[in-house]
Amino acid sequence: MTLLELTDVTAFYGPVQVLDTVSLSVPEGGAVGILGANGAGKTTTLRAISGTVRAGGSIVFDGKDIRGLRPDQIAQLGIAHVPEGRGTLGDLTVRENLRVGAYTRKDRKNIAGDIDYCLELFPQLKERITSNASALSGGEQQMLAVARAFMAKPRLLLLDEASLGLAPSTAKTVYDSIKRLRAESGIAMVVVEQNANLAFTLVESATVLETGRNVLTGSSAELKGMDEIRRAYLGG
Amino acid sequence: MSTATAVMRKPWVRWAVIAIVVVLAIVLPLVLPEFANTTLARIGVFAVAVLGLNVVMGYTGQVSLGQIFFLGLGAYVTAYGVQQDWNIVLVFVLACLIPAVVGLLVALAAARLGGLAIAMVTIALPIVGVPLAKRLSEFTGGSQGLSARFTAAPEWTGLYDDQWQLYIVLLIAGISFLLTRNLVRGKYGRAFAIVKGNEAVAGSMGISPYRYKVLAFTVASLLGGVSGFLYMVVIQYTSPETLSFGHSITLLASMVIGGAGSILGSLLGGAYYVLTPQLTNLIDPGLTAVLQGAILLIVLFVLPGGLVSLPRLFRRRRGREQGGGAAAAKAAASATAVPSTSAPDGADVTTHPPTESEERRQDT
Amino acid sequence: MGTFIQLVIDGLSSGSIYAALALAIVLVNQATGLINFAQGGMAVLSAYIAWQLTAWSVPLLLAILISIAASFVIGAIVERFLIRKFEGGDPDTAVVVTIGLLTLITGICAWIWSYNNKLFPSLFPLETISIAGAVVSVRSIGTILAIVAIMVLLQLLFLGTKLGLALRAVAINPQSAAFSGMPVGRLLMVGWGLAASLGAVAGALVAPQLTLTPNMMDSALVYALAAVIIGGLTSPIGVVIAAWLIGVLENLAAVYVPLIGHDLKIAVPFIMIFVVLIVRPQGLFGRKAVVRV
Repeated sequence: MTLLELTDVTAFYGPVQVLDTVSLSVPEGGAVGILGANGAGKTTTLRAISGTVRAGGSIVFDGKDIRGLRPDQIAQLGIAHVPEGRGTLGDLTVRENLRVGAYTRKDRKNIAGDIDYCLELFPQLKERITSNASALSGGEQQMLAVARAFMAKPRLLLLDEASLGLAPSTAKTVYDSIKRLRAESGIAMVVVEQNANLAFTLVESATVLETGRNVLTGSSAELKGMDEIRRAYLGG
Repeated sequence: MSTATAVMRKPWVRWAVIAIVVVLAIVLPLVLPEFANTTLARIGVFAVAVLGLNVVMGYTGQVSLGQIFFLGLGAYVTAYGVQQDWNIVLVFVLACLIPAVVGLLVALAAARLGGLAIAMVTIALPIVGVPLAKRLSEFTGGSQGLSARFTAAPEWTGLYDDQWQLYIVLLIAGISFLLTRNLVRGKYGRAFAIVKGNEAVAGSMGISPYRYKVLAFTVASLLGGVSGFLYMVVIQYTSPETLSFGHSITLLASMVIGGAGSILGSLLGGAYYVLTPQLTNLIDPGLTAVLQGAILLIVLFVLPGGLVSLPRLFRRRRGREQGGGAAAAKAAASATAVPSTSAPDGADVTTHPPTESEERRQDT
Repeated sequence: MGTFIQLVIDGLSSGSIYAALALAIVLVNQATGLINFAQGGMAVLSAYIAWQLTAWSVPLLLAILISIAASFVIGAIVERFLIRKFEGGDPDTAVVVTIGLLTLITGICAWIWSYNNKLFPSLFPLETISIAGAVVSVRSIGTILAIVAIMVLLQLLFLGTKLGLALRAVAINPQSAAFSGMPVGRLLMVGWGLAASLGAVAGALVAPQLTLTPNMMDSALVYALAAVIIGGLTSPIGVVIAAWLIGVLENLAAVYVPLIGHDLKIAVPFIMIFVVLIVRPQGLFGRKAVVRV
């Protein structure tokens, strides 16, 4: 069952074309990676999905064409976007950030329980529960951003460069938590990552973008060893 | 490039235009009726005031709600000097210098502050200025104001008063416009523009925002003083009401409607300031404020560059119809390429180039 | 001593009016990032609506409540159709838009209701009470209490409710808030509506004393802006305290500082701005600005 299907998606910033026939397919509960060098269009692809950027082509989520919807409408359909830079609401406390995540939910009784779950998943957040989000370290903010997205109980999570600016051990901790989250909740994911190895610990398949196009698509097992992957990053 | 611009670029055309303008300036006052002369003179007065406001606000991007204060100050200095029988040239110099010095002092104190604070300081000028003018009645004649008639046409000219006054205004305003035009077209103007665009970038280029803001504000105050002198030439009476805050707002609106950051726009702004109340009074005096507010809003929505940008608008429209895809793309693209898409109802869809998180911290 | 207490309490009362307007300005600024110079003008329009209702024999309290509701709608509509286009752009252009709005609203009030002073009935009884030898009007006390009540309500709204959380989130980072499903446009309209309602309360409280004219709140706006600068744009409590301070100090200066006197007491807030900004450029309670190049 395909949850998300991108077909020949295009996107422009003004006159500059950033995406040129990008395609992607995410099965229900699956995790797909988008890899590629800087400027390849990875972030833009996520923005096209979450409605932040106007896109051409076809974007179908759960059988529904979501192109042209506002970002908040797309969020209400069950897509949670954790943007590059995390988007944490610095002047709000950790708990308030989590409550913000639960904004679209009607089942108020379960929200408190989910907050507890997040705090157990990310123990560092538990210690800082009353701190302002701006006081958190980079890694903690990343965890908070993911937890906040999870609080919406989305069906699809869009993760943009979750390892950006984090020390390798911290990035691994974050990814381990995300893996556990996925295992326990079955959320589907689209993971944009520059660190291909880290991405492969989470996703079953991936596509590599170069100047707005898919140049390579396959399962993680296939892609892991390929020379093209190394070349895409090191420009061999 | 349209044929009009191409024609204008030929040097001989420019000289011809200048010659025609000079001839008109000399001949028109002699043939036009008195009412027309007086109106033109008043337009000249406020065109200089708007020009001053343009220097600090249109070109350098600093909101000033106090320009009318400098006009009032110049008018009071003129009135006082004339009443004390001082040499008229001395009076003119003082009417320019005193407001300039006051402006310099204000700017030295205020230019380091943030946007809202500067606006508030400029608001202070007319708001405190009016009761101050009433209080200092020895110099200002208190609430009664001061009148000073010194622009009766001298015998040897054989002119009527209104013609003489218009000549004075044309001469002084003309010189002011010329000097200011050279200022903003030269390196100072470029510095102003950079300070307006991005102060941090200006600083890194070795252009001190502080210094240029002070300079711009001082020039604006000086021009305000000049317009105050001309105000006395034409209207021959000043009172605390001359520098009321309401006038400051109308001056600002005139600048925007005429065209911010434009020499010609200042002239149009002066015309707007003088002519619009006359027109709206004909329609319905009660509607004056409504119309003025509505016109300002309409201009901001539809013609943000002011009236002076109308030809540009037509040119772009024509360019687009002629399949000017290249021109349109050029207009749309910029270094940062962030077009604000006219979003559907209530949508906040904006396109952003991939940057780090956008933290918007709003403070003064 | 009696005079002193009277001046202080009257100062707190007028300061409360400035505070209500200042809170509205802060609210609008936090939500949409611009200074609304028309906030006072909108409050005057609200007061006229209430007045007109009382002229049609609607009971005063009901008239005021209706005008508060109407102001909410007007504020929301203004944001959606007038201001929306200029958000996120050059803040100075936005300021000029609000100045144009002020001119328009003042003109509309003058056109419909003329410049003649209108008597606005007072919510509070026109009596005085005695406190420690001073004669204090009930109206002053009532105004102060009203503002304190409003502040408490606002705090409850912003810190305790889902709507308040959403308004704060949208003010901090609208795009991020949208990612959590918040309808940003609608919330901005709510922000402006709330601010306009605040203004309506301020207008109704001050109109009996000043008598209703289209320019009634022009000087209150100046005081409110001064309170915003002195208190700091980011601190609602700060601007209220600053507004009270301005109200009290201008009254005291008018009486005890002959150089200033009553006619020049409008200079007091500007002097205060000057002093405060030299010492603390971000205002008494504000935070330093972070400017990204």
